[in-house]
Amino acid sequence: MKPWIWGAAALIAAVVVPSFLDPAGYPIRVLTLTLLFAALGQAWNIVGGLANQISLGHAAFFGIGAYTSTILLIHFNLSPWIGMLAGAALAALAAYLLSFPTMKLRGHYFALATLAFSEVLRVVASSWTSVTGGPAGLSVPYAADSLALLQFKSTTPYYYIILGALVLICVVFLVIQKSALGYRLRAVKENPDAAEVIGVDTTRVKITAAVISAALTALLGTLYAQFTYFFDPEAVFGIVAISVRAAIIAILGGAGTLAGPLIGAFVIVPLEEFANAALSSRAAGLSQLVFGLMLIAIILVEPRGLLVLVSNGIARLRKGRKG
Amino acid sequence: MSAPILQVDGITKRFGGLLALDNVSFEVAAGDIIGLIGPNGAGKSTLFSTLVGLHKPTSGSVRFAGADITGLKPHKVAARGLTKTFQNVALFMEATVLDNVLIGALLREGVAEARTTAMACLDRVGLAHIAGKTANDLSFPERARVEVARSLATRPKVLLLDEVMAALNHVEMEEIMALIRSLRDDGLTVVAVEHHMHAIMSLCERIVVLNFGRKIADGTPQDIAKDPEVVRAYLGREYA
Repeated sequence: MKPWIWGAAALIAAVVVPSFLDPAGYPIRVLTLTLLFAALGQAWNIVGGLANQISLGHAAFFGIGAYTSTILLIHFNLSPWIGMLAGAALAALAAYLLSFPTMKLRGHYFALATLAFSEVLRVVASSWTSVTGGPAGLSVPYAADSLALLQFKSTTPYYYIILGALVLICVVFLVIQKSALGYRLRAVKENPDAAEVIGVDTTRVKITAAVISAALTALLGTLYAQFTYFFDPEAVFGIVAISVRAAIIAILGGAGTLAGPLIGAFVIVPLEEFANAALSSRAAGLSQLVFGLMLIAIILVEPRGLLVLVSNGIARLRKGRKG
Repeated sequence: MSAPILQVDGITKRFGGLLALDNVSFEVAAGDIIGLIGPNGAGKSTLFSTLVGLHKPTSGSVRFAGADITGLKPHKVAARGLTKTFQNVALFMEATVLDNVLIGALLREGVAEARTTAMACLDRVGLAHIAGKTANDLSFPERARVEVARSLATRPKVLLLDEVMAALNHVEMEEIMALIRSLRDDGLTVVAVEHHMHAIMSLCERIVVLNFGRKIADGTPQDIAKDPEVVRAYLGREYA
């Protein structure tokens, strides 16, 4: 089957599925979160996959999105639709400024620098109580059912809005991948010196990708805040909750590919929910441990991600049938 | 001789305590094919890297097409028309041959036009038939040619070739030499680092010799072959 047929089939399934689910039930909640984190993984993928700049600080932009729109909503009654754009602009600016000190860093050093940046923002959010609510976090003001204020009683509207965001980010990813920027990112990823010598402005290419990725991540932060009604610094600026999860979803599924973060999210998010539900009553942290072990197992078996694992499996099956 | 397109003036490059290039000066006229020779470690590749902006010279200047390009970033140097190939080949290994060359062509045009240019450049180096292969799957001589095609796709005025004939057999070497001559006939200026003396002597109008980072000779192949210092440092007695 051609890739676009897979895509169309998945999209139709995603559009139809809610009609079979209880709009206030648990499954649609898990599905909505899965779509949200698939979108987060895809936004991360623009920097982490296409440019191979492994960021462990995407929570910074996610948190900026969540806090910006929510603070604007609380103090100025500004619609989150507009607050979302303000958050995206702020996150883009943050990514732009962060690019300068991290430009020359590669591999682990880049990862650590981005991680440190998001931690600084988490500490700021925890301490600046008058604006951010401090460690107690922020609640989105109650608005009943209102499209203008992006708040709904049922989960179904959130589901479709977040599906829309996922589709948007996938389209952005595809357009970048096929454009001159995508080719240049590839060059930067494989050999920055050679890229420069044949005319690629590696600095500009990296900054462009970082800024786009950060702005999209911030949009998701706003959607997350509206969907969960309440968040604290740990929930949106958390290393494990957001940064590592975004990276793992993309890497596990297959970094640098369109389908990678989608597959990664559909494995990880439900698995995590299941592990939490099944194991957290036995011992605190057990579910995290089991979850971690599963991840290690998958990465040991196929470091290029599940996408490669699955397509190799299909190829082997076909061969088996023919032979 | 027309006005020099490339003027290297007193380039010195230190890496910590190591003096890699010591006050090197020479000029290249448009349309020339210049050879750059010298023993291993003489500073040939360092000189190329400094000219295209990968290294900043400790002192000295580089003028290209009438403007000072000392200290410019490599992509700006490439945009002005000066680029190089890499000694040990630096292709984008997981990309296809076509995409490797296409990225070079993106310097001057959009993706669709760049694809056409890339195919033309691959055709020029005789590799159009393997455009769809992954760079990783190529032999070393093929990789070197892809690198030449990738450089050509940036439409350079001056191309610095760093040992593109390494590991080639005689037939392949003749092909590359014919290619370099035909490129020159189309207006390209070439500076080539090579260890194959027969090739460099027959290809180049002029040869510059480096030894321990210093220029020890600069002249026609005949002059170079007779120069006692060059013979002592590099050529050995057979060319004398």
